[in-house]
Amino acid sequence: MSKTLSYYPGCSSQATGVHLDKSLRAVLGKVGIECREIEDWNCCGASVGHICAGHVPVAALSGRNLAQARAAGPEDVMTPCAACYLNTHATNEAIRDNPGVAADVNEALGAAGKSYDGSLLVRHACEVLVNDVGVAAIQAQVTRPLAGLKVAGWVGCQTVRPFADTERGGKWTTYDDPAFLDDFTRAAGAEPVPFTGKTRCCGGSVAVISPDKTLHLMKDILDEAKAAGAEVISTPCPLCQTNLEMYQPAVNERFGTDFNIPVVFYSQLLAVAMGLDASADAGLDQHLITPEPVLSRAK
Amino acid sequence: MSHVPTPTQTYDLSFARWVYGHVDGGDRLALCMQCGTCSGSCPLGPQMDFGPRKLFMMIRAGLKDQVLGSNTIWNCVSCYNCVVRCPRQVPVKHILQSLATVAVREGYPGARETDNARFAKAFWWSAAKYGRTDERLVTAKFYFSYGLSKGYRKSMANLAIAKGMVKARRMHLGLPHKCKNAGELKLILARAAEIEARHGDAS
Repeated sequence: MSKTLSYYPGCSSQATGVHLDKSLRAVLGKVGIECREIEDWNCCGASVGHICAGHVPVAALSGRNLAQARAAGPEDVMTPCAACYLNTHATNEAIRDNPGVAADVNEALGAAGKSYDGSLLVRHACEVLVNDVGVAAIQAQVTRPLAGLKVAGWVGCQTVRPFADTERGGKWTTYDDPAFLDDFTRAAGAEPVPFTGKTRCCGGSVAVISPDKTLHLMKDILDEAKAAGAEVISTPCPLCQTNLEMYQPAVNERFGTDFNIPVVFYSQLLAVAMGLDASADAGLDQHLITPEPVLSRAK
Repeated sequence: MSHVPTPTQTYDLSFARWVYGHVDGGDRLALCMQCGTCSGSCPLGPQMDFGPRKLFMMIRAGLKDQVLGSNTIWNCVSCYNCVVRCPRQVPVKHILQSLATVAVREGYPGARETDNARFAKAFWWSAAKYGRTDERLVTAKFYFSYGLSKGYRKSMANLAIAKGMVKARRMHLGLPHKCKNAGELKLILARAAEIEARHGDAS
């Protein structure tokens, strides 16, 4: 297939989540999705912007991104980041459904001579991969299956909540046990382990702000992954990946555990399985807990 | 923001009515039937002074100071379990976080000093100034909001993580990433802040 989408990489694509952006672009190239990056995009406000600034300024952040995307064309906007998806999708829907929000955002955009009519659809990259590309077409690109690799598929929160059940949010079948991540794992030739904590929360931004409050949440996720025999945890969310990786030493210190489980993005597993370069394309060399030994055993 | 009424007797509804009309998602709060699905679904429920269910009853009971002074409104992790599970479609997350904004604006003791409020301030500074989140500067500004010595201690405690991130090329050294047209964004956000204030004054 061949399709062009507007692409909103989000701030983490230049920092903690650079390996998500890199590996996803590589995988999308393989399956015929062209990413047209939103010109001069800005931050979406993430999970905390509104606490300080209020709702109109946060909506204006997404409003500018959407105006930039619309000016470049009518194609859907795709983002790989859970929080970017949540904020951008929510603002877009509010502009469509709520005339008051549409008026506020456009009044703010007017200060820079911009406007946005709400005509775009904002989508998560996983939903595009499932519904536009299809798991079979992804699998067809796999040349080096990760045979025998045991993967716990951990979706996290905001990729599916709160929009999974809505028509414009992709109409997923469930909030609590989504199958798409395990489908990606199988497409890569690896083996998904049974994992009930698929949409368990790591603490999100509160884990960054006050890790002490949320270490037990991360321990629960690591406990289940380990008990299920997972060699690696796969996730679509940049904050989930960073939190669960960088706080494993703190979890070990607090609870006397010895976790050292690599946490990777689904797109990294797919990139490697598609025969792309492990470092330049998949970013496997950009981890605090290296996944390279377990992945090379699988090949 | 308009004056937040202080109830004069138990179960005085003036505060609840203000929340219904002024807090994001508050228009659905009156539909809460006290089932407790939200509290039972909350990852940090056990660490809250009160779960969302109890907090919502306290709003109806007119316990304004206890509500706005509670840690409940600061412990929301934005997981949206409560939002998708509430049988009455009460947007619990939105209400909790909007009450946090109210607590800061109303100058509630400790509200500005919470970790979350400090972090939110540092985060917004980066988003508004550069148009992007610079995780290094946000973290540094957040740590040093506690003063020089505590900021230094917090920075040192996280040095291993920072070094690992630099080595993994997930934290860069050098100037912040920024929007090319940060000036344009500044104009938009200034206008948005005026609109936000106008809504506050009118409501």
